[in-house]
Amino acid sequence: MSHGVGSDRPVTTLEEIVDEVAHLLPEQAPLHTFVHHNTLHAFEHLPFDRAVVEAAQLFGTRAFQTEAAFAEHQRCSRILPGDIAAVASQEVERRSGGNAPIVDRFTPRDYIDLRLRHLFEIPRGAALAWQLQETDLLHAFHPGVDVFRRRELSFRADRMFGGHPTGQRVHCMLSALWKALAEAAGANALEPRATVRRRDQLVACGADDVDQRVHPVLIRLCAAFLDQGVSSWGMPFREQGFLTAVRRLYGLPVPAPDAWQRDLAHELRTQEREGRSAVETCRSALALLGVGPEQWHTYIRATLLCLRGWAGMMRQFELRPDRAPVEPRPARLLDYLAVQLTFDAVAARAALRERFGADATWDRLAPASFGDPARPDLEPVYEAFVMAQIAHVDIEAFLRPEVAARWLEEARAVDATTRCRLLHAAYERRLRIAVLDGLAAHCRDPLPAPPEPRLQAIFCIDERECSTRRHFEETMPAVETFGFAGFFGVAMAWQGLGELRPRPLCPVNVTPGHYVTERALNPSEEQVWRNARRRLGLTTQALMQGSRTLTRGGLVSTFLGLWSVVPMVGRCLAPRLAEWLLHGVAEGSIAEPITRLVLEREGDAKDAEGRFIGYAVSEMAEVVENLLRTIGLTDGFCELVLVVGHGSSSLNNPHESAHDCGATGGGRGGPNARAFAAMANHPAVRDMLAQRGIVVPPETWFVGCYHNTCDDDMTWYDEDVMPEARQRAFAEAREALEAACLLESHERCRRFESAPHGSDAPAALRHVKGRAVDLAQPRPEYGHATNAYAIVGRRTRTRNLFLDRRAFLVSYDPTTDADGSVLTRLLGAVVPVGAGINLEYYFSFVDPVGYGCGTKLPHNITGLIGVMDGHASDLRTGLPWQMVEIHEPVRLLAIVETEPERLARILDQQPGMKAFVDNGWIQLVAWSPTDDRLWEYSAGAFHDYQPESRLLPVVASSATFYRTERGHLGLARVLPGYSDGGNA
Amino acid sequence: MGWLEFVLTCVVALPLVACLLLAVPAWFGVRFGERVISAMVGVAFGGAAAAALAALAGMLGSGRDSLEVTLGRWVVVGDYTFEWRLLADHLSVPFALFAAVLVGLIGVFSRRYLHRERGFFRFYLLLALFGAGVEIVVLAGALDQVFFGWELVGLTSALLIAFFHERAKPVEHGLRAFITYRVCDVGLLSAIVWLHHRVGSSRFVPDGGPWAGLVAPSDTASVVAVGLLLLWASMGKSAQVPLGGWLPRAMEGPTPSSAIFYGSISVHLGPYLLLRASPILQGSPGVAWAVVGVGALTAAHGSFVGRVQTDIKSLLAYASMTQVGLILVEIGFGLHYVPLIHICGHATIRSLEILRSPSLLHDHHHLEQAVGRQVPRTPFHIERLVPNAFRPWMYRHALERGYFDSLLRLVVHGFMRVMRGVDRIDRWWTGKVVGEPMRIDAGEEQRR
Repeated sequence: MSHGVGSDRPVTTLEEIVDEVAHLLPEQAPLHTFVHHNTLHAFEHLPFDRAVVEAAQLFGTRAFQTEAAFAEHQRCSRILPGDIAAVASQEVERRSGGNAPIVDRFTPRDYIDLRLRHLFEIPRGAALAWQLQETDLLHAFHPGVDVFRRRELSFRADRMFGGHPTGQRVHCMLSALWKALAEAAGANALEPRATVRRRDQLVACGADDVDQRVHPVLIRLCAAFLDQGVSSWGMPFREQGFLTAVRRLYGLPVPAPDAWQRDLAHELRTQEREGRSAVETCRSALALLGVGPEQWHTYIRATLLCLRGWAGMMRQFELRPDRAPVEPRPARLLDYLAVQLTFDAVAARAALRERFGADATWDRLAPASFGDPARPDLEPVYEAFVMAQIAHVDIEAFLRPEVAARWLEEARAVDATTRCRLLHAAYERRLRIAVLDGLAAHCRDPLPAPPEPRLQAIFCIDERECSTRRHFEETMPAVETFGFAGFFGVAMAWQGLGELRPRPLCPVNVTPGHYVTERALNPSEEQVWRNARRRLGLTTQALMQGSRTLTRGGLVSTFLGLWSVVPMVGRCLAPRLAEWLLHGVAEGSIAEPITRLVLEREGDAKDAEGRFIGYAVSEMAEVVENLLRTIGLTDGFCELVLVVGHGSSSLNNPHESAHDCGATGGGRGGPNARAFAAMANHPAVRDMLAQRGIVVPPETWFVGCYHNTCDDDMTWYDEDVMPEARQRAFAEAREALEAACLLESHERCRRFESAPHGSDAPAALRHVKGRAVDLAQPRPEYGHATNAYAIVGRRTRTRNLFLDRRAFLVSYDPTTDADGSVLTRLLGAVVPVGAGINLEYYFSFVDPVGYGCGTKLPHNITGLIGVMDGHASDLRTGLPWQMVEIHEPVRLLAIVETEPERLARILDQQPGMKAFVDNGWIQLVAWSPTDDRLWEYSAGAFHDYQPESRLLPVVASSATFYRTERGHLGLARVLPGYSDGGNA
Repeated sequence: MGWLEFVLTCVVALPLVACLLLAVPAWFGVRFGERVISAMVGVAFGGAAAAALAALAGMLGSGRDSLEVTLGRWVVVGDYTFEWRLLADHLSVPFALFAAVLVGLIGVFSRRYLHRERGFFRFYLLLALFGAGVEIVVLAGALDQVFFGWELVGLTSALLIAFFHERAKPVEHGLRAFITYRVCDVGLLSAIVWLHHRVGSSRFVPDGGPWAGLVAPSDTASVVAVGLLLLWASMGKSAQVPLGGWLPRAMEGPTPSSAIFYGSISVHLGPYLLLRASPILQGSPGVAWAVVGVGALTAAHGSFVGRVQTDIKSLLAYASMTQVGLILVEIGFGLHYVPLIHICGHATIRSLEILRSPSLLHDHHHLEQAVGRQVPRTPFHIERLVPNAFRPWMYRHALERGYFDSLLRLVVHGFMRVMRGVDRIDRWWTGKVVGEPMRIDAGEEQRR
């Protein structure tokens, strides 16, 4: 977990430098398998607060939300004064300086508190100079000064400067104050910004921008090299690696009009002739750039980070060739670096020559000649000046130099970064209190006992299933639900009927050891299906791709082109109808054959990748046992047990896979649910389970199904093998779950601004179905947005609690886990997955352009591996703004139902997880399995949590609570039959 | 004014009214909601489409081949009169109908696509202005009026490329498109002046062909000059070789604007202009061959370069360029209805493809599954005809987009150098006259 970004270990060889810097590159795989991960994974060895600030400096990004956003949160009471007071106290405790008054009885804590509640804009640099000279900065009070203080200050001014004309006194006072503070600041000059790359230095000297020449070519080459099937003419020589391919292509003696390209060709030919390796090439390019070995690290880092999307993708292809969407490429980051440095060196030398003449050397780029000019640092003075007006202290005191100096020091201590850090803490604190208070209140009042369960259902832990489960329980009170990671322990490489290649359906850190496929029951039916689909596919291909070529395109567009008015009108005006007409009818007429999983292994057959083909009975029993024990379902089985996988399908969405199930590595969990159900229904598996102490009664039947979270559609598997006697129960279960999905779509619609609000549920379902097939819809669903908590514990304790689709719900029974081994395993899986999703959303929200991939509207899919912003930009990683716009950037609050001692012991045994928690990448809370006590984890220990409020709204149904509200909602207790309808 | 004249006026008037209804309140700080804005544009273009359809029906019903409406005079200077005149005939009415339908559809589409986008209003205002510009170009009764619409289309195109102006590249690429347009507009303006000089009018008049056209000057030199100037004008708008480098770069705006401009309407205005100029093309085989040459070169270039494009929007941009080149060839060969049908067919198919481009991953996956093998593996490639040894050269050439950008840069740099030289001379002699020595040399100033 800790890669040394800030580590002091001396790095000597170039390979080591590249390996180290590579950790800073985005770790996003090609888009078809989008796996959420911590954007700042390379900084996990640092405490969160420090990591975000350091990363912000390195990447030029934002660490927290803006002050303007925090001011807005205060205005609408998302942050309360109590939160600010609490974080101010903590900050003073954290500092070593103590809380001695600065002036009068005004302490540092008061200062922080006041400053955080007054977030005014600070003019920078020239703007400040202008304000000083041209505005009434020194003539009138700051607008943030309240009316009482104004009166008091005017009165003071009259006393202090009684000899001056009335209109001048305030000016005299403010000028004196400014002068005192400015003198205290002294001639504190800002350091000129250091530049690393030659390109930056050249630009500062007025030469042409080297990146403008190099990047378009480099981007084109990277895209051509990695392309998975957009272009019809593949890059020659690419099977020999990036460096060789580039040398062969750009080393050609072409009379290129650009002078630097002619130099480049010469250089590349030399490299090829001398047979230089990538490392040697990097070295010689660095020498050409005049960069000594002691600067290699910084220089290489700056170079790789300037097109980090592409560099990162090269690295991904190097490390995980198996994740290539279509075919792997022999990519190496070193090759890429060699190419980039060579291009940079040649182009920079050309720019240097153009600017300073043919025999110019790098010495011409004197460090003094670039960067911002040195200027006194007046911004803290401005802050101190405004705060002196706002704070209720005697203003005359500031005229004393020592007070002015103390005041200024405080202003410097509470700089923008500190303020945002503290405000972020306050922001998280409010949400934490709301949840913990709600939980405590909910478990204080016992619920009426639910009816004897007639149905059990296992869902994914995903927070989108949080509300599905609630609605399911509301529509059918006799259901008992569980949460387990959505691959259900079946870590397999899956190849569905008609799929070209298998894909892993398991968490990314697991390599599947089993290959599972499906076979049609009736081969002739399959052949008919395949042929029909193939004909349809070939027609589509002929029309779509044919229209892009010269001759066929001419014919297609002349003779058939006008027909596309029909889909065009349909797609624009009635997307759902159009999808049905264009796809539903055509594909619906091709009956998909009934299939069976090829699940049970015969002998020890392995596929080409060395995976077992199918599972042995003992392996199946292990998978089933593990899941049942973890969720605590070892007896009391109902007649039916549903296993619900999930995924999402949508149009107009390059990030479609980001909405799929994270536990299956960005795949769709249906096959896993189906396979799990088949395993659990296997008679031999049942026997083996019985031997191990889990007796599944013969009348219990497991049913696999799949929930599409985008259009809330349910798919049911293997209905035809279900025993006749289970059909009635199944019909009831199916009806109830489909009703729950209907309500689920209704609840989701409240977050879509363009959806009918408060309307009836069927309209909402129609709306979400339309969204999924709408070419014009950039937000088919909101995915994991708003995720904030993870609750690991028994569902009985959170049942009937409205959690606003914000909680990962992990089933865990502390009463059956005597030694804590189940919990250890669970946390080891849940913490990285939950935190990965949560932190990716955090960063993509906080800096949508720096960490996220910006707005989707201009996105341009390249090479089937990623998106660019419009034409030829860096490869954009992270989440698009449309996915995260309603998110609240808070760290995951993991609440674990167990005694704090046990949790502490587990942390001690798991140093990796402990460091992660200690560094504050998630917030951890222990929840007593017996009563309403909670313990917050901080600074290496658990502390008693004191609830702030014991009130919890009670409503008769979820819908009554959320119907009128579009924004985030707090917790509420849902009591069917509760008649008051108001708050209790 | 009869009802036919009235509906014809509506085709142009409705989009213009929509622009005013959007722009005037905005000027006074009144901002409408997303629904109102998109409804205004949708209704205006829906209305324009209905009006165009009515005009078409009316003309067919009454058996008239063309219809002219004079809306008024703007300026009268000596012999010269600028009249606002609309012309409906077999060319303009289908085109006007088609453009109104597409803009209206994009208007409806974008309400969902641009929902919650900060530039929502700006997008719709520019879309409406663009639509109005297209209707003016299409229904104009004379080349003088075409120029107005032509400029509106160019301006809105550049502004929509630069829609995301918080980043540098869109602005740069918008500027590039704008400069290309401006340089080529010189052709249109000069052609107008030349025509007025030689013929005395730039009106489109029926000449026995399927639709009205320009009156060709009587002397061959003028015919050639006007023809080449008009070809130059349409080369910019339609991204023909060697000026087409802006087209793939124009894919910076929101996807719907890329679809309507570079997939469908804007790029086809060049061919439209040449269709109106068919008497001139007929008058001079040289010009006709030049049109064929430019078109054929572009089609070859686009098809060749398009093969190596690795991002979907560039791929579609080159596909567009290829077909427009082909349409130019058809026009050069003197065809009339074939290019018209080709334009409409190509415009719809391409704009739909661009609208669909964000679904590429989804579509590719499904297509691959259905076909049962890796795609694309189109069975036959032109490049396979090339001997092995030349393929890297060809590939490099395609990847560098035929070096047209680099050549253009050389030309521009040369021009800049000349201008800087002129500037230096200027400073030198003004220094002499005023009696002060030259203080800052041009290069130094540029660096600041």
